[in-house]
Amino acid sequence: MEDRAIQLQLGIGAMVLSLFLLFVAIPSWVSSPSNVPNIILSPLFWPNVLAGVAGIVGAGMVLTAYWRPKPAWTEPPDVPSRPAAFARLAGVAAIMAGTMYLLPVLGMVWTAMLVFALLAFLVRTRHPIAALVCAVVVPLILYGFFAHVAGVAIPQGNYVRLP
Amino acid sequence: MSFADSLMAGLEIVGNIQSFLALFAGVAIGTVAGAIPGMSATMAVALTLPFTFSMTPITGILLLLGVYKGGIFGGSIPAILIKTPGTPASSATVLDGYPMAQQGRAGKALGMALWASCTADLISNLSLILFAGWLASFALSFGPPEFFTLILFSLTIIAGVSGDSLLRGALSAVAGLLLATVGLDLIYGTNRFTFGSPNMMGGLNFIAVLIGLFAIPEIIGMVWNPQVSADETRSLGKNWVTFAEYKKCFRSIVRGSFIGVFLGSIPGIGAAPSAFLSYSEARRKSPNKENFGKGEIEGVAASEAGNNGVAGATLIPLLALGVPGDVITAIILGAFMVHGLQPGPMMFIMNTNIIYGLFIGLIVSSVFLFLIGSVAIRGFKYVADIPRGVLFPGVMVLCIFGVFAVNNNIFDVGVMFAMGWLGFFMMRFRIPTAPFLIAFILGPLLEDNFRQAMLMSGSSPVILFRGPITWFFWSITLVTVIAIVRAGIRATTKETPPLPPTNQE
Amino acid sequence: MKLKLMGAAGALIASLTATAAFAEYPDRPINMVIPYGPGGATDISARSIAAPLGKAVGQPLIMTNITGAGGATGSVAVQNAKPDGYTMLFARVGSHSVNPAMKATLPYTLDDFRFVTVYEINPVACAVAPSSGIKTMDELIAKVKKGGVSYSSSGVGSLLHIAAVMVLNEFGVENPLQAATHIPQKGGGAAATAVLNGTATFICTNSSALASFVANGQLVPLMVTTPEPVKGFDAPTAAELGKPALEQLVGWTGIAGPKGLPDEVAKKWGAWMKTATDDKTFRSTMESRGSVIKLMSPEDANAFIKAQYKTFRALVDKLGMRIEG
Repeated sequence: MEDRAIQLQLGIGAMVLSLFLLFVAIPSWVSSPSNVPNIILSPLFWPNVLAGVAGIVGAGMVLTAYWRPKPAWTEPPDVPSRPAAFARLAGVAAIMAGTMYLLPVLGMVWTAMLVFALLAFLVRTRHPIAALVCAVVVPLILYGFFAHVAGVAIPQGNYVRLP
Repeated sequence: MSFADSLMAGLEIVGNIQSFLALFAGVAIGTVAGAIPGMSATMAVALTLPFTFSMTPITGILLLLGVYKGGIFGGSIPAILIKTPGTPASSATVLDGYPMAQQGRAGKALGMALWASCTADLISNLSLILFAGWLASFALSFGPPEFFTLILFSLTIIAGVSGDSLLRGALSAVAGLLLATVGLDLIYGTNRFTFGSPNMMGGLNFIAVLIGLFAIPEIIGMVWNPQVSADETRSLGKNWVTFAEYKKCFRSIVRGSFIGVFLGSIPGIGAAPSAFLSYSEARRKSPNKENFGKGEIEGVAASEAGNNGVAGATLIPLLALGVPGDVITAIILGAFMVHGLQPGPMMFIMNTNIIYGLFIGLIVSSVFLFLIGSVAIRGFKYVADIPRGVLFPGVMVLCIFGVFAVNNNIFDVGVMFAMGWLGFFMMRFRIPTAPFLIAFILGPLLEDNFRQAMLMSGSSPVILFRGPITWFFWSITLVTVIAIVRAGIRATTKETPPLPPTNQE
Repeated sequence: MKLKLMGAAGALIASLTATAAFAEYPDRPINMVIPYGPGGATDISARSIAAPLGKAVGQPLIMTNITGAGGATGSVAVQNAKPDGYTMLFARVGSHSVNPAMKATLPYTLDDFRFVTVYEINPVACAVAPSSGIKTMDELIAKVKKGGVSYSSSGVGSLLHIAAVMVLNEFGVENPLQAATHIPQKGGGAAATAVLNGTATFICTNSSALASFVANGQLVPLMVTTPEPVKGFDAPTAAELGKPALEQLVGWTGIAGPKGLPDEVAKKWGAWMKTATDDKTFRSTMESRGSVIKLMSPEDANAFIKAQYKTFRALVDKLGMRIEG
């Protein structure tokens, strides 16, 4: 993407965010006691100031987008196939969502093994054997360290408990 | 008692094998713990604390101090190698350390980190010994108005880490400030953007945000485009820093050390802002300004000097006033009290031997740090030789364990993932992430101190101009802002196109 | 040989998956949640009792700090845990009597927990900086009535917050919320520093947090709330000043499980705590920090906490301090 277009998009995005905060998010999700003696002490004051600044910065970006120099270089295509890249991104998102779901159920060690293996597969590692071995060994070592040396209560899950 | 007598009294209680062994073990434990993301120096010190109960006071406290110092240095190792700061204090080290590792100069970056750390550590310890009394009384004159102006000035650091677009840096900073408002309001205890979730009430965990913003986008970026050197390993390059490079960076290191000493002696600031301030000062003064953020060795030196300069200095308010400046010194204060010692002005009179024993131990700790750090670097730097297809999934798993361990909360893992996507988005849209982080650290301090000052004065803004300290910070803030705006206008209207962005992968 | 190996592997797997149902409690490590950060009063208290308690329990205790929202984040983690006795909480005055009394939006109430003991009482002391010129409670109250007095706390809904208000209320200050300004700080250390450097006029907090400042002459103690004088604090007790009601105002640390904790588990904890609190090292460590070790049975602990909660709740309702948002 061209730098000028990015600047414009970001500027518009920031202004939309600012309006959203000022008129929707702050009134509904920030609460303030009714007896605040002075507006500058209110819990609403600082978020509103920030929302305002976001709007000003956004406006500034839109205005200066014009002066952003045209690139003197041509952007190299950054991925060979954009659909495939987006599919892989969806894959990471799925791994992350799955992690959050499985952590309390399976326990951290087993989930981490799955994450390691899937992620290595997703980036198509050229060392699949090494990756698989590490997928099993690394979470176990980390478990040993955190649970037994650092004394952290690593989530164990409902099925197989490690000593 | 004369200085020599005090020194001898101190030597008497530390001059035994246990004390030095404890100190050595402490530095070693700290370095390893600091090198593991999620095991912050704070956690390492807290975990070591129960072991000190059965030791003599001086041995126990030296052990804790060793862990502290080792931890602050250790954090720089993963910051450089895998873009995952081991402790918040080393987040500034990422800015130039990681690009250096990408260029195959990991060994050099680590070496410089060590040299800068040890130099700063020594300067910080000497400052503690020489100026403790004076700096401590100075620190007590910092109330909310003084803090407010100091932090306002510190926010100008953002300009130094914004890259080529000041406005994008500002946008990034505003986003960080907004995210920092999540949680319970300090003054009234009401909810802000918590959506009724008890996990959000405590605010977003800082380490989860930090790791999410730095490490996870690298992983997502690699998934986005695995073709780019997917399994290429980076060579270590020439693996040791030369004396000439050290000499070149020496001014930045000394400057960073004193920034660390100054900020460290004021309770409540911490090592991360100090590292960023040191970094931005080094950048401002450097002839290689353009190269900062792209693998400039002086950037690594300045950041590490800034955060290690804090380590000795945080003991100034602790020993001289009994005031802990951060969580780590609060734990160390606990260790003193368990042994029936009460840090404060009286301690310099009642327990001179302990004070001087600590001083001697601290000086020795700088030497130990150098020895253990050299060994640690030699061990850890082979991380750079692991193929990325195996390394990155490993980093992901390490981050999951580490972020969980910080506060034993699965929710934080989710925060890390969410921040990872935000960081990836910012990387794609070429928004710098460092301003976000600085704002996230400083934002709550700015707001809280502002409102505390307003409470003190009954909402009269005059209090923000009380005393010479506030005036000093107001004026340097003004001067800096004018300089930034002028530079910004010049850059915006400049006809010459900027350099192509350095390729991240 | 091969069979043997498989048998061993099978046994290993069986032992790994063995369920808790058949074994006697406790057959695995117990997770002890500390709802405050490392280095704080709760943390040090919890970690000090961990060693003798672990010996009494016979299984490792895993100390877990879950910080945030004045103790609420960690408390909720235990509230939502299975009531099997493997997740227990170090409850504290802030998280379990001041917070429930003050915050309407708190995601838990006292009824969501079953207390098995309270083992530590922390006297509360009020102090000012010597530069303020105040030497007695009466002088402080006189100054409050003149106006311009402030007090620091470790945050909204902390013991320090309600302590200052309660003291002012007991000493006859009308409308204490307006008469003196509350300047919340982040954490107890910062609260004491605020009085040292003149940001706030006075502080009421656990005597252990003030001991070193008092010993060094950096703070002047005005009053302690225990029936007996506190060692090292040259100040009258609340009863001596004619305000015995303030004896309710003490800090405490206890242990609680989720609601529905079986009776036998609670009983076991009672016995373990007896052994643990008799430990000499534990006692001397805690007493050197100014705590009073006083072991309560589950029933006494419940009654004690309920009574303190009611006192605070009445004060909060009277003054309109309850936080609704």
